[in-house]
Amino acid sequence: MRLLRELSRRKLRTTLTITGITIGIWALVVFSSMANKINDLVGMGADFYADKIVVTDGVAFGTSPMRLTDADAIASVDGVAAADPRVELLWETDLAVSFSVPDTILGTIPGADGGHDTFQTELATGRELAAEDAGNVVVLGSSLAQKHGVTTGGSIEIRGETFEVIGTLQPTLTAPDTTAYVTLAAAQPMYLGDLPPLVAESLVADELINQVVAYPDEGADISAVAAAIEATVENSATMTGAEFDETVGGTTAIFNAIIIGVAAISLIVGGLSVINTMAMSVAERTREIGIKRAIGGSRGRIIRELVAEAGVIGLIGGLIGLGLGAVVVVLANEAGRSGGTILFDLTVNTALFAVAFSTILGMIAGIIPSWSAARLDPVSALRYE
Amino acid sequence: MSLVHGTNLRKTYRMSRHNSVAALCGVDVAIPAGEMVAIMGPSGSGKSTLMHLLGLLHAPDRDDGPAPQLRIDGVDVTTLSDGKRTAIRARSMGFVFQSFNLVPTLTAEENVALAAEYAGTSRGKARRAAREALDSVGLADRVGHRPMELSGGEQQRVAIARALVNDPMLILGDEPTGNLDSARTLEVLALLRRFNRERGQTVVLVTHDAEVGEACDRIIRMRDGLIVADELVAQLPVAA
Repeated sequence: MRLLRELSRRKLRTTLTITGITIGIWALVVFSSMANKINDLVGMGADFYADKIVVTDGVAFGTSPMRLTDADAIASVDGVAAADPRVELLWETDLAVSFSVPDTILGTIPGADGGHDTFQTELATGRELAAEDAGNVVVLGSSLAQKHGVTTGGSIEIRGETFEVIGTLQPTLTAPDTTAYVTLAAAQPMYLGDLPPLVAESLVADELINQVVAYPDEGADISAVAAAIEATVENSATMTGAEFDETVGGTTAIFNAIIIGVAAISLIVGGLSVINTMAMSVAERTREIGIKRAIGGSRGRIIRELVAEAGVIGLIGGLIGLGLGAVVVVLANEAGRSGGTILFDLTVNTALFAVAFSTILGMIAGIIPSWSAARLDPVSALRYE
Repeated sequence: MSLVHGTNLRKTYRMSRHNSVAALCGVDVAIPAGEMVAIMGPSGSGKSTLMHLLGLLHAPDRDDGPAPQLRIDGVDVTTLSDGKRTAIRARSMGFVFQSFNLVPTLTAEENVALAAEYAGTSRGKARRAAREALDSVGLADRVGHRPMELSGGEQQRVAIARALVNDPMLILGDEPTGNLDSARTLEVLALLRRFNRERGQTVVLVTHDAEVGEACDRIIRMRDGLIVADELVAQLPVAA
């Protein structure tokens, strides 16, 4: 109570300082939430690539056509335990620019991984695709199911065709949420339709894929197997877990550094603002500090009192910044949910870090003026007008 | 035995590199326990400086002359660190100033309790002690008021309660009646005398006011940084 009363003596300056901290913490919360989301996506990607080699036709993450027979060739490479041919394509043919993971269609042969795939998603309703499934059946990621308002037993139109929904997945907050899992046979004609006519006319839908996921034998040297695949299949490109981490992880680290740097600049400004406020406060309260020293307030006690005040400024700024940041995160996610654009992930750790950081920042910023105050000569301070 | 015993007390204030003021030029002083003493003299005579040394707000100079010594209750405090001097101030001394010097944001009770907390008393006990001290100066009904809501006389009584809350052996007043009218001056003097007699607390008052001096047991007169007279006062009755 005493602390709040002291702060309320200088309403305008305290409010402005708290506002500075609030803006810094707001930026930290929002940008960190964005970084969390990106890290989630990258982490999921790293999990996906961890135990496999993704083979495309010369373009990493590419969608250039390959032939189904390429999967057989890859399966025959030494060190490859299983080869899983796939067709991956965008749900919309004319994709608008978006920061989020786009809706995709993934055609697979259920069981083609031979039980080697460790990347698992959990069912919310219904069942997964099975080897005996044929025709237009689909398992929908959670965001797609929510977006289209369908669940198991319902139907959904994909690229002009009606699919029976046989299952939906639990949310992962990453790529599977916006993926529709169909049979390879169902995806192949769609993919063929996406290709330029000159390319498409020389291809047959049921021989068409655009990637093969190869599962190395247990204990195999993954990079050596990847090199062997590239040597075996003409014009192929491979992506291993280590390469994914190197390529995407490095980019993510730079992105994270930029985001945290922007927030850090805001907080440094906020911290300087606290120093200014506390320095002014000490100047205004010189006489009061003299009184406290004269009646027995030790230097340590004076420092503790002033640092606590600065800490409360940081705490209040942190809580308000967190609150406003949370509002922005929730509103932006809600606004983007219908379009599958979930940009932010505000975690408990981020929230705790933001508040703890602002409080500690306030306290650290308060140390310098508090130290000066504690060293005031009590007699001179008592004479101060 | 003297509660306060100082010898060769000197203090020079450096105003700039080439300008210094010798405020105290080698003073010997002894104040027995339980005495009420006035230190009087014109402005610049060194009386406040002497009080600051006795109150451990400043330390005596140790260069340019015979070694000073200051003992409080038998303890040599001449060369104590700032932390130890602060601890003695908190536990064994009470201060009353001319301009009251209360913390403006705190209530009367909080102002008094602050001194108790600085002396190491827990917050709850400090609050209780503060209420008792305020009751003893007749302000039991003003505990929740802030300084701005109190008259000058009431503010000085809060300051006296603050000086008394730790039951110190030495109360130091720097012109404690300087901002009060004559009626309030008599009130404050009566309070200080009462505590001096009832609790045996030693009181040292720096004052210009002859009436205040005459209310004490003894007057130390100063001029130009030296004690020029030290005389007992024929005790006059003080209005209650």
